[in-house]
Amino acid sequence: MKVELYNQYVRSQMSRRSVLKGAASMGALAAMGGAAPAFAGGHGSVRAEIMKIPGVGMGSPGDPEWQKVGELCLGPTKERVAEGEFAGVELTFMGLNNQNLHNFLFRGFLKPWEAYTGAKINWIDLAQADYNPRLQQSIATKTVDFDIIEMGAPFEGDTAGQGLLNEMPDWVKDQIDYEDLVGYLQPPVGTWDGKAYRINIDGDCHTFCYRKDYFGEGSITGRANPPRSWQEVNQISKDVIGKMDPLTGLPAHGFLDPLKGWGGFGFYFLEDRAAPYVKHPDDPAWLFDVDTMKPRVNNPGWVQAIQDVMDLIATEGAYPADQINADPGTTGFQQFLAGTGSMLTWWGDIGSNARTSDTSVIGDVVGFGINPGSERVYNHLKGQWENTYNESPNNAYLGWGVYVTNRVNGDDKKRKAAWSAAAHIGGKDISLWTSAYPSGFQPYRNSHFNYDEWEAAGYDRAFVEDYLGSNLDSYNHPNSANEPRIPGIFQYYSVAEDELAKGFAGQYGSAQETADAIAAAWEKITDQIGRESQIKLYKASLGL
Amino acid sequence: MSSKEYLHIVTQDHIPVQKMRFGRVLIWGSAGIFFCLVFLQLLQQNGVADFKFSNWRPTLYAYGFWAICLCAAQVLMYGERGKRTLFVLPAVLFVISMVVFPLIFALGIAFSSWNLSSPDGRQFNGLDNVWEMWADPFYWNALKNMVWYILAIIPEYAIAFGLAILLNAQIRARKFFRVAFLMPLMLSPVAVSWMIGKSMLEIRFGPISRLARTLGWDNPSFFGSGEIARGMIMMMDAWTFIPFMMIMILAGLQAIPKELHEAAEVDGAPPWKRFWEITFPLMLPVSITAILIRIIFKLKLADIIINVTSGGPGGATDSVTSFIYREYRDRSNVGYGTFLAIVYLVIIVIFMTVLMKLADRWMKPRY
Repeated sequence: MKVELYNQYVRSQMSRRSVLKGAASMGALAAMGGAAPAFAGGHGSVRAEIMKIPGVGMGSPGDPEWQKVGELCLGPTKERVAEGEFAGVELTFMGLNNQNLHNFLFRGFLKPWEAYTGAKINWIDLAQADYNPRLQQSIATKTVDFDIIEMGAPFEGDTAGQGLLNEMPDWVKDQIDYEDLVGYLQPPVGTWDGKAYRINIDGDCHTFCYRKDYFGEGSITGRANPPRSWQEVNQISKDVIGKMDPLTGLPAHGFLDPLKGWGGFGFYFLEDRAAPYVKHPDDPAWLFDVDTMKPRVNNPGWVQAIQDVMDLIATEGAYPADQINADPGTTGFQQFLAGTGSMLTWWGDIGSNARTSDTSVIGDVVGFGINPGSERVYNHLKGQWENTYNESPNNAYLGWGVYVTNRVNGDDKKRKAAWSAAAHIGGKDISLWTSAYPSGFQPYRNSHFNYDEWEAAGYDRAFVEDYLGSNLDSYNHPNSANEPRIPGIFQYYSVAEDELAKGFAGQYGSAQETADAIAAAWEKITDQIGRESQIKLYKASLGL
Repeated sequence: MSSKEYLHIVTQDHIPVQKMRFGRVLIWGSAGIFFCLVFLQLLQQNGVADFKFSNWRPTLYAYGFWAICLCAAQVLMYGERGKRTLFVLPAVLFVISMVVFPLIFALGIAFSSWNLSSPDGRQFNGLDNVWEMWADPFYWNALKNMVWYILAIIPEYAIAFGLAILLNAQIRARKFFRVAFLMPLMLSPVAVSWMIGKSMLEIRFGPISRLARTLGWDNPSFFGSGEIARGMIMMMDAWTFIPFMMIMILAGLQAIPKELHEAAEVDGAPPWKRFWEITFPLMLPVSITAILIRIIFKLKLADIIINVTSGGPGGATDSVTSFIYREYRDRSNVGYGTFLAIVYLVIIVIFMTVLMKLADRWMKPRY
């Protein structure tokens, strides 16, 4: 769970009285016996035990708690590794130091592992902002100096695609219950040319958040239900112009598009709109042609998505003032949570902030769902529109994973040690704890959606079902739009943001011209990185 | 050696031939080791032989050793004169290592296609980056914006001069105002961009937006149109750096002898005449220096832009540095990014040289 979510949840939910009440009811449950919730997997008692460390509302866990959780979850390691087996092995682990979590958390988890196996781990801690340049420079200058790396799936093209990773042994798959993943994280994610490389430790997706008080009988939209398509979203955005927001009494607004770039991450929000137009269920590709890497970003589907945004820009009052300068941080936290606007797409955590953040005013009127679909979809292969309803939630960014590099090749002991360490922090039980407590990671296994386990830990069931349920549908959607894991994917996003900004500011004549400019810039990047290798890697990333 | 050169030498050195020879051996011996190591490492890098070097540190250490030997040899070979050389030589070696060499490497990179995501690594691409820059509307747009940003220094200077005159006058709480006016300079531009750009100018809740609404501007938008956004960036940057110019001018004002003003006053010169004929000309050298330094600061403007507008809307606030930042960092386009930076450096050097020549001419006293 993200730290801020946890803190806000605890602040708003857990008064001293409610903690005591919860403790009393837990005590009563224990005294009655037989009322314990069912825990997923075969380590029920461990799962129940770690979920009590330190207990929801009992303060933020730190190194002693991390070590304790790490110690309790050592069982699978002990089944496969003898005590002291890795004595003399030194491993280097490169990861993040965001919010004093990530690597710091791993240190705590791995301390008991080091004590048991005899291995020693050296750490390379990086700030988020330094991560990409450090990784890219290591790859480009052939100075990979780490054995284990915490890495996002979008970088798999840069690493696995260049043969820098070590293939996951089968025993690791058994240890971590490799199959226990939500749909979109299943292979080909984490694999390259059919070989598995990734131990998942995180998940990410965009979901649709809307204001319930804008819909229903007597509402300002006059609609019974929230929109199911982007066409409806745009219509609602136009319909509410001139009306008053039922909650704040300020001017009402519809959908909040971020029109300013966000270091490449802003492009995901245009993808939210475009995916139902362009991600055809019969075609795994939606950003590039698989055989030529010719960008599809200027096909009629993408152009329609850009046009939809431009239509709202051209409609006075559709967006709040100064929307051209709003990035996703603004739309999510300064606008939607503060009661401006009625619809938004964002990562899963914005929804739970709506209920728990001190600055949120929409906690009681917020609803969630998967991203809107479209009443028509563009079939790129046939070159024509099809008038059928299409849904394609955007599983934007693929969360963090742990990988082992090829530095362990040829040294069986070191390889086993590296994979054992990675498997320990990506274990099934430990991941339940990282989902439930401040860790920087989101739920990503099917077993994380067993709401009884959360309730037993002290969470409010309604909160948990809202928080988790909005993600689950997107994760497991059969036509989800997933990240193409090719080298330099954020370069494509970054340059697209620049061109979109020009288009949105009216510097291009039309949506088509804007899309053509993006396509031209993408072609340049593809040529620079190497078209043939990109084609090969794109196909591999799609599992073709 | 002329007698003039002995002026500052305390003792006359008589360097023995052996000592001279030993000095030469030190220099050439250490240089030989350095070049040998470079050669061996190059052989290994090109796969000709494997000497088990895991990195280039041996070459670095050899360079350090050669630098020490070179310094020591100066004393051995030239005695007192060598000691004088030692005052400068380490600094020269440091500059060569940290500025000249990297610049030479940067030139190599600038004429390459090097995308960090490319499996092919760095490829020499001749003048391709030149043509790409020539046809890159984002770069020219950023350069055009820089002209506007530089021009904004003129009103900044006028304000700074006015404030300096005020603070130089006998006003109440002068010390307090001097410190208060300096405060913005103590703030990091990143903090300024968050405190002002992201908080005070926030459209809905920001106090300045509220004030604007109270004054009748229904939907205040500070970064919505290109011109206003550029103006706001200029203002935030000016707010941070006007105190810098102000303090330089204030120091200059305090150095002007009071007698000059008193004499002019006795002669019946009105205040404006006194300013224009005495204060302004005497302040010209300080003013030019303050403006030149301010231009150098301005040419590096990036942090406020990156934080507040990311160069938008539609590139209206982009500076060359913020554009290069995106090209290099977000797109890992090292070759092209480096080329743009080198071109910018050349432009700055030429611009500043011309400006300093002109300033030199202007600074010739008119009185």
